[in-house]
Amino acid sequence: MSSGRLSLERLNPLTTLTAAAAVAVITTAAGNRLFSAAVFAGLLLLAARQARAASILGSSAAILLPFWTALLLMHGLFFPEGRVVLLEFGPAAVTREGLLFALDAGLRTGVFVLAFLLFSFTVRVPELVAVLSARGMPPRLGFAAASALTLLPAAGERLRRIRAAQEARGLVVGRSLPSRLLAARLQAVPLVLSLVHESGERAQALDARGFSAPGPRSALLAVRDSFRQRTARLLLIASAVAAVAGRVVFALTGGPQ
Amino acid sequence: MTSPSPQQSSLLLPDAPKRRRLLEFLGAASIIATYVVLVLTQPADIAAGPGSLAALAAMGGFLLGAVLLVVAVLPTLPTSTVVLIPIAMVLNIVLGQFVGSTLVPFYLDAIGTVLVAVLAGPAAGAATGALSSLVWSLFNPTVLPFAAGAALIGWLAGVAARAGVFRRFYLVPFAGFLAGILGGVVSAPIAAFVFGGTSGLATGAIVSAFRAMGDSLLAAITKQALISDPADKAIVFTVAALLVYALPRRTSFQFPFVRRHRVLAGKGAADGAPAPKA
Repeated sequence: MSSGRLSLERLNPLTTLTAAAAVAVITTAAGNRLFSAAVFAGLLLLAARQARAASILGSSAAILLPFWTALLLMHGLFFPEGRVVLLEFGPAAVTREGLLFALDAGLRTGVFVLAFLLFSFTVRVPELVAVLSARGMPPRLGFAAASALTLLPAAGERLRRIRAAQEARGLVVGRSLPSRLLAARLQAVPLVLSLVHESGERAQALDARGFSAPGPRSALLAVRDSFRQRTARLLLIASAVAAVAGRVVFALTGGPQ
Repeated sequence: MTSPSPQQSSLLLPDAPKRRRLLEFLGAASIIATYVVLVLTQPADIAAGPGSLAALAAMGGFLLGAVLLVVAVLPTLPTSTVVLIPIAMVLNIVLGQFVGSTLVPFYLDAIGTVLVAVLAGPAAGAATGALSSLVWSLFNPTVLPFAAGAALIGWLAGVAARAGVFRRFYLVPFAGFLAGILGGVVSAPIAAFVFGGTSGLATGAIVSAFRAMGDSLLAAITKQALISDPADKAIVFTVAALLVYALPRRTSFQFPFVRRHRVLAGKGAADGAPAPKA
């Protein structure tokens, strides 16, 4: 599946982030079904060429399939603004406008989800934190984001161990609601307690190492960048701004919003 | 336990507090202005397709507001609060992912945010809500535009805690209910204009019922939000309160906000040394 030539992992995190945001903005501003479909197909192809193609496509499907189903049921069956009725049963009516609305909204969200998942599955978090801090974002922002990402799997593992410990002490999760609530309490309280307790220790350790000290930070991680990527970022931003400006002008001169 | 250096003024940047105040103001103004613009200029006829300008305004305005609030608030928080934020984010994501995949019209994705708001105050709650959405969007990009709504819930939970609501347990669900009404009203235009509907099947069914009665998309989603969100936030506030009550006093009273505003019932460190500003 993987092809080195189209791998986004080699790019600067700012380049992939700018590209994801620009693709989402341009597609939304264009508001054109065929354009959205073409961009979605292009993103699918690009995702299939990444080393983590299965994860990207699997996560996209897990988000988009329920969303598309909800859209189809919502607008496909109930769309009071619809004029061309294709099918009618009881209070529900399948209208052409409703189906097209669901298709447009579905494609637009599909592009949004796939573009940002391509970014998040190909970005190296330490590099992202380093480039954002170098561009003036508070270093604490990077700490909070990176810390949450490393804590997530650790919290899952701790929850598994807490459950094992409680089961060893006789916890049996029954089918009734009170039994489930009790089981949830017996697992959630030790988890939260241990995480909050550890955070207190972490605060002391961080303060001892100058976490709250003012002044600039030295970045120990050098993130690759190039003239071509810098130019590409500028072009992407300019294209997104032009697309929004074009849409505003179009709306002011009487086009659809 | 308590970190000794909550707010250190920078000698290099003497105007930093003013700049942060300005960023906070701009962030809040961006969120309010976006909401007003969206409600006033909502497309009257959606038969031609989902509106582009409304989607761009909702996406850009709310996200910009949330990011400005995070950038303004984060440097002012004590270290003990900053290290709590990732934990809140983990709790939000783990519980929110689980409930989001079930057929229940609730989200329960703000328990960690409310927990931090109760322990560390409105500013920390707002920053946690917004940051949580930003980080969660790495796994599920559809939560990204809802960052402003999450920040609002965190801020309101902190305000309720400061007002002493968490000293009386029976008041907690009511505070959650009220916060849910405001949060739902702010989040509805995002669901309507950015995504053209809600992402859950259960919430989608409620929207469909209102649409069948002839409501506009924004009205139907707002009504759905007014059904789901207040109940959801009442549960979230209650669960967060139970978790805070379960913490040992030694742990909960290490937070200056809890001591300073007597957030929890009983004798605390409020009668001790003056706490640093949270």
